[in-house]
Amino acid sequence: MVGRVTQAMVQTRFLQNMSNNLKRIDEQQQQLASGRKVNTTSDDPISFTYAMRYSQEIAQNEQYQRNIDTANSWLEFSDTMLIQTTDVIHRARELAIQGKSDTTSQESLNALKSEVDQLYEQLVRIGNSELNGNYIFNGQSTMAEPYTLIQAPQQSTDALEMRFEVNINVTMPISVTGNRVFGNPTDADNLFRILKDFSKALETGDRTALDGIVNKLSSRLDEVLYARSSVGARINRLEMTQQRLEDLSINLQQLQSKTEDADIAEVVMQLKMSENVYQASLAVGARIIRSSLIDFMR
Amino acid sequence: MPSTFGGFELAKRALFAQQAAMTTTGHNIANASTKGFSRQIVHMVAARPMEAPGMSRSNAPGMMGQGVEFDTIQRVRDSFLDDQFASENKYYGEWTMRRQTLDKIEIIMSESADSGLSNTFEAFWNSWQELSKEPDKLTSRTVIVERALTMTNALNHISQQLTNYASDMNENVRVKTGELNRYVANIANLNEQIFRVEGLSQNANDLRDQRDLLVDELSRLVNVAVQRTPNGYNITMGNVSLVNRYTAGGPFDEALLLDAYNEKDLKSGELYGMLLGKQETIPEYQKQLDTMVKAMVEGEMQVTLPAGSMLPEGTILNGVTYTGANRMLPNDLQVTVKGINGLHRLGYTLDPTLTQGNDFFTLREGFTAFSAASITVNPVIASNPKQVASSMRTTTVGTTEKTISGNGDLARLIAGVRNEKIQFETTGTGEALQSDETLDGFYRALIGNIGVRGQEAIRQSDIQKVIIEQVDGRRQSISGVSLDEEMSGLIKFQHAYNAAARLMTTYDEMLDKLINGMGTVGR
Repeated sequence: MVGRVTQAMVQTRFLQNMSNNLKRIDEQQQQLASGRKVNTTSDDPISFTYAMRYSQEIAQNEQYQRNIDTANSWLEFSDTMLIQTTDVIHRARELAIQGKSDTTSQESLNALKSEVDQLYEQLVRIGNSELNGNYIFNGQSTMAEPYTLIQAPQQSTDALEMRFEVNINVTMPISVTGNRVFGNPTDADNLFRILKDFSKALETGDRTALDGIVNKLSSRLDEVLYARSSVGARINRLEMTQQRLEDLSINLQQLQSKTEDADIAEVVMQLKMSENVYQASLAVGARIIRSSLIDFMR
Repeated sequence: MPSTFGGFELAKRALFAQQAAMTTTGHNIANASTKGFSRQIVHMVAARPMEAPGMSRSNAPGMMGQGVEFDTIQRVRDSFLDDQFASENKYYGEWTMRRQTLDKIEIIMSESADSGLSNTFEAFWNSWQELSKEPDKLTSRTVIVERALTMTNALNHISQQLTNYASDMNENVRVKTGELNRYVANIANLNEQIFRVEGLSQNANDLRDQRDLLVDELSRLVNVAVQRTPNGYNITMGNVSLVNRYTAGGPFDEALLLDAYNEKDLKSGELYGMLLGKQETIPEYQKQLDTMVKAMVEGEMQVTLPAGSMLPEGTILNGVTYTGANRMLPNDLQVTVKGINGLHRLGYTLDPTLTQGNDFFTLREGFTAFSAASITVNPVIASNPKQVASSMRTTTVGTTEKTISGNGDLARLIAGVRNEKIQFETTGTGEALQSDETLDGFYRALIGNIGVRGQEAIRQSDIQKVIIEQVDGRRQSISGVSLDEEMSGLIKFQHAYNAAARLMTTYDEMLDKLINGMGTVGR
C-alpha cells in the first residue's frame, strides 16, 4: 500500500477483510451443514463431474443388483421345480421296476397305473408352474400356459429362454425351457409321453414295454439333472457377479465420498480458526476505527 | 520606504489566507465520506515583495516580504489512476455479469441438488431395465411412461427457464441502458459547466469530482476511452462516441447497443456481459442440450440385435430391407439405428394383434425439430402404455402372427442406450461439446463445462474486484480525506490565524503609540 493512509481507506480495507473472513466462515459452515465439500458445479467442476459419474455408475449397479435378485428367484424357483421333476422321475422308475416283476397281478398294475396317472398330472402342474404370473418353463412366452393335461406330450414350449441383463452388455438366461426339461414332442424320451405310455402299458399289462420305459426314464433323468446343474452353475455365476457388483459399489461409494464429502474434522478445525480470525479482526477493527486525532484534542 | 499601514494589509492577507485554508479544511472534513470526492488544498504563495525596480527605488535593504496570498484551490487527483480504474472497472463489470449468468444457469440445471436432470435420466433407463425383466406386465410400462414424461418435462422446463432467463436479461439491459444514457448526458452537461467556470480561470474542483465519478460509473457499464481535453472529456466506446464535448451520444437503446456489440465496439463492461449471456452463453447451452436430446431421440448408434429377433416387415437396416422370411435373424446382428425412436420401431407392443412400435418420442405442438423444448412422449404411448414396445419376437399361431410378449430384448436394448456411444450433431451452427460419446458422458461434459466456466467467472470477477480495490486504494491514498491530516492542518491554520491576528494587534498598538503617544513633549 502507498504512503498516505486515510480513515476511509482503513475502514474500507477493514470491511473487505472482514467480509472475506465471513465469507470463508460461510463456506465452511455450508460444507459442514451439507457434509459435502463440493456443493455446486463451479466449486470444483472436475470433482463434480467425477462425482456425477460415480453416482450414475452406482445407480446403474444397483439396478443390475435388482436384476440379479429377480434372476435369482427365477433360477431358484426353477431349481425347486426341477427337483420335483426328478422326484417324479425317480418315483416313476421305482413303479416301472416294481411293475416289471412277474409276480405282480393285474390288480396291482392297475393300482400302479393310478399312481402313474397322478404323477403325470403332477408333472403337467410342474410344467405349468408360475412365478409372479409367469410360466417359467414356456421360454419367453411367459403369458401362455405351455401344457394341457390332454395335449402335453404333443406340446412344445417357446424355444428361447428368458434373459436378464446382469451387467453392462452381459445377459444371462434365467429360465430353462420345458422342451429341454421334459423333452420335445419329437423326442423319444418326452417325459409326458413316457408317462402316458407307461400308464397304457400298465393298463394293458404289457410288461415287456416297461423295460423300454425304464431306459427312457433314465435318459430323461440325465437331461433333467443336466438342466439342474446348469441352473446351479448359473446361480453360482450370479452370486459371483453380485459379489463383484457389490465390491464395485463399495469402491465407487468410497471414490464418491472421497471426491464429494467434506472431511468434517478438518473443516471444523478450519472453521474454528476462521472464527478466531474473524473475532480478532472485529476486535482490532473496533479499536482502530474508533480513534482519530480528534479523540486526543482538547 | 515601507508604508505606515502596510502591516495591516499584510496581517489582513494572512487572516484571509488562513481563513480560506480553514474553510477548505472544513469542506474536506464535511466531505470525508462523499463518494468520488478529492481532498482540496489551498495553494498559498508568498505575496510579491515590495520594491519594484525603478530609478526612484529606495536604498533600504530588501526585498521586504509582503505576506501571503492564495491563488488557487486545487483538488489532489491523479488522472492516470482514473484511467487505470476505468480500464479495470469494465472487466469487473463484465465478469460480474458473466458470473451471474453462469450462476443462474447452474441453478437452472440444479445438478447439485439430488433432483437434477441426471436423476430423471437414471430413473428412465432403469425403468426400461425393469420392463426387460417382466415385459408382459402393464405396470412396468406405466412406470416407463411416467418416468419418460418426468424426463421430457424436466427437459422442457429447463429449456423454458433458459429462454425466460434470456428474456429477463432484456429487461436488465434496458435498465442499464437507461443508466448509460443518464451518465452520458450528465457528463456532457458537466463538460459545459466546467468549461464555463474554468473560463474565468477558477478550478471547478467539485464539478470535476462529480464528472470523474460519473466516468467511474460509466466504465463499469461499458468499455470507455476517455480523452481529456481543455474543453472537457471526450468519451468513446470503440468507434462509438458517447460524449463529444457538450454533446451526449445516443440516446442509446437495446438495438443500438446490440449493433455496437456485433460490431465489437462494445466489448466489455456489465452491458457487454449481459449481451454476451443473452446472445451467446445461454443459446450455447440451449444448443448443447438440444443436441443431446436430438442424439438421444434420433442419433446414430451401433446396437447388436439378438438372434431369433423377428424384424417388423419392411424394416431397413444398414441398407438391407427385411421382408418375408429374412425378417428372422439367424444370428446376432450389429446394425446402426437412429436413436431411441429408431430402436423402438424395431419391436412390437403389448397389443393382442401384432403391432410395430411407434416413435417413442414426438414433437410438442408447434415444433419441427427435436430439442429440449420440443421433446415429449408420443401421446399414443402416453395414453396407452401397452404401446410401449419391448418384444422383438413373434410366433405364428395358425396364420396369425403374434407377439411373444415375454421377450424383453427391445427393452434391454433401449436400457442399454445409456452405455452406447452416440454421434452427436449440433442442432445449430458450431461444434457439439462431444461427438462420439455416451449420453451420460455428454451430459457430464455439459455440466462440467458450465462448472469450469462458472469457476473461471468467479475467479476472474474476484481478481478484478481485488484489482479495482487496489487501484481505488491508491487513488484514495492520494485523493482521500484523512481526518488526522485535516485536524492537524486545522490546528496549524488556527495558530497561523491567531498569530496573524496578534500581528494586527501589534501594529495597532504600534500605531497607537505613534499617533496618540507621540508629539506630546512639554504638554
